[in-house]
Amino acid sequence: MRIKPATLLRHGILIAFSAAILLPLLWVLRVSLTDKLTAYKIPPEIGHLSFDNFIEVFTRFDFSLWFANSFGIALATTAISLPAATMMAYAAARYRTGGAPLLVTVLASQMLPPIVLVLPLFLLVTTMVPIGGRAAITLAHVAVNLPFMAWMMVSFFEGETKQLEEAARAEGATRWQAFRLITVPVAMPGILAAGLLGFILSWNEFLYALILSTSKSQTLSVGLASMETQAGVNIAPLAAATLLGLAPVLILLPFLQKYLIKGLSLGALK
Amino acid sequence: MASIELRSVSKAYDGGVHAVRDIDLSIADGEFMIFLGPSGCGKSTTLRMIAGLETATAGDILIGGERVNDLDPAKRDISIVFQNYALFPHMSVRKNLSFGLRLKGTPRAEIERRIGHVSKMMGIDELLDRRPSQLSGGQRQRVALGRALVREPQAFLLDEPLSNLDAKLRAVMRTELIKLHQRLGTTMVHVTHDQVEAMTMGERICIMKDGEVVQVGAPLEVYTNPADTFVAGFLATPSMNLMPARLEADGDGLAIHLAAGTIAVPEPFRAAYAPYAGQAIIAGMRPEDFHEKPAEAGPFGQLVETTIETVEALGPETILTLSQPGGTAFAARVSAAGTSRAGDKIRLTYDAGKLHLFDPRTTKRIARPLSV
Ligand SMILES: Nc1ncnc2c1ncn2[C@@H]1O[C@H](COP(=O)(O)OP(=O)(O)O)[C@@H](O)[C@H]1O
Ligand SMILES: [Mg+2]
Repeated sequence: MRIKPATLLRHGILIAFSAAILLPLLWVLRVSLTDKLTAYKIPPEIGHLSFDNFIEVFTRFDFSLWFANSFGIALATTAISLPAATMMAYAAARYRTGGAPLLVTVLASQMLPPIVLVLPLFLLVTTMVPIGGRAAITLAHVAVNLPFMAWMMVSFFEGETKQLEEAARAEGATRWQAFRLITVPVAMPGILAAGLLGFILSWNEFLYALILSTSKSQTLSVGLASMETQAGVNIAPLAAATLLGLAPVLILLPFLQKYLIKGLSLGALK
Repeated sequence: MASIELRSVSKAYDGGVHAVRDIDLSIADGEFMIFLGPSGCGKSTTLRMIAGLETATAGDILIGGERVNDLDPAKRDISIVFQNYALFPHMSVRKNLSFGLRLKGTPRAEIERRIGHVSKMMGIDELLDRRPSQLSGGQRQRVALGRALVREPQAFLLDEPLSNLDAKLRAVMRTELIKLHQRLGTTMVHVTHDQVEAMTMGERICIMKDGEVVQVGAPLEVYTNPADTFVAGFLATPSMNLMPARLEADGDGLAIHLAAGTIAVPEPFRAAYAPYAGQAIIAGMRPEDFHEKPAEAGPFGQLVETTIETVEALGPETILTLSQPGGTAFAARVSAAGTSRAGDKIRLTYDAGKLHLFDPRTTKRIARPLSV
């Protein structure tokens, strides 16, 4: 069998891109499994493989605390913002709530450099909850994620669900019953996708968590950054911690993809 | 069961689209009413206003004599069936059927009884545990109808429920809907853009155009006495021939001068048409009023001689397109057995007792004594 030049070219490009994406991760994987000296070697050497770095992350650093903080904050952020965002998106799709200009504004606010919002958010959050606690970070994450999640869900409530809701209302359902019994279950894949995305965004968030946290409430992203500065750069344990921190995201991503596709097929894209 | 009444109802959408203008319509208790009109003429909007899914911008809507303009759709006690069925995809057929009853708090035994009854009637009793996605188009349609039926509402509103079905199934469902109406006697409003559906199904047809009601009447009444050229051209295939002509005095009588020749106006119509003598008019002649045997054309039969342009043999009948030198071609519907071929000369007798004249400025029919 002969391979066509066009096919070869296409696969060549794809392989190059895949490598560009995968290489840093593979590098991190290598570093996490080697000892501290081998870690810096260029060209890279594998050397003696061990899981010492992974153990050190737990013994010498507060990895479990950071992980628990991140998990708790991401979960709380999602639990608060998802129901609210669902109802906001529904309102934007059904009622006269500012229409397209409002949605564009929401989107535009997401395009601001996060640093612009740091000061106002800091001031706002500190008026409501004690500074430095997990609640403060959660609140900041809710403030940032909620509009984005709502914006993302608007399209799930257009199209098919609209007519189903009308059918339900003609069948005797109130608006609220139609929303609860028909719209939400039918749009559930989209809602779950938004929830997962919100969780991941909160999990990865660094800047607000850095400004608002103390050593007790440090999230994973902030904790990882602190490993770089305390006693020089602990590159090998850092690599191990990074991989561990990546795990939840890697586990969630396939679900996100599945729900997102299902959710989008409900809305305007159908 | 209930009557439905629309009084000067209008609807303007947010974008400024005037979808419905000043509609007056009375639908009697137990009547089978058809809304017929081309796509975009406001049929769905009118139906949705009756259902309460759209609010009227002006006018009153009455169900059972009660003004319902401000009543929530849930409280109007009517069922609506949508073109794409709108079955709840996350519920089984059984749950779909029982949805409205469960909301009302109907006792379980009663729900079971009604579902049993309706699902047998609609032939969906084998499908109760399936999801809508596991049903064929025809089955979904039956479930949608079944869901409307179980609640035993005051009225059924059907928005082009048959248009997603293939031709054969559509014919079957057409008959079933008629039977259903006969059995239940509930008020039904059926929206369609298909004139065959309209002619065969309804007790009365409400013909709409550009958001207005053009004519309301029994199918045959509308067919024999169309209110304007739009209705004349919309009903039946091939539709009425609408030919520009002049009406002239002819001795004691009147004659219509067509490009193809003249047709004397039958005596009973003369008084009505006399004021239009000397003016341009539109002559409306149905293809089925041309006959091969003069005897079939009745007392006002008049000979028409012309040339055949095309022959469409449909089996039980044949449609001829006839040339009219200096004018547009027109259609005639004749019996099947003919040996006519394109290019042949043909002599047909037109039944002028069925003739209609329309005013070209207003497109309205010029009133005359009903067809003789
Ligand atoms: N939600 C809406 N917003 C704005 N215009 C609409 C809306 N729904 C229908 N229209 C317009 O109103 C007119 C009548 O529509 P419709 O009642 O759906 O017609 P039909 O059912 O006879 O095809 C059309 O011109 C259509 O574009
Ligand atoms: Mg319509």
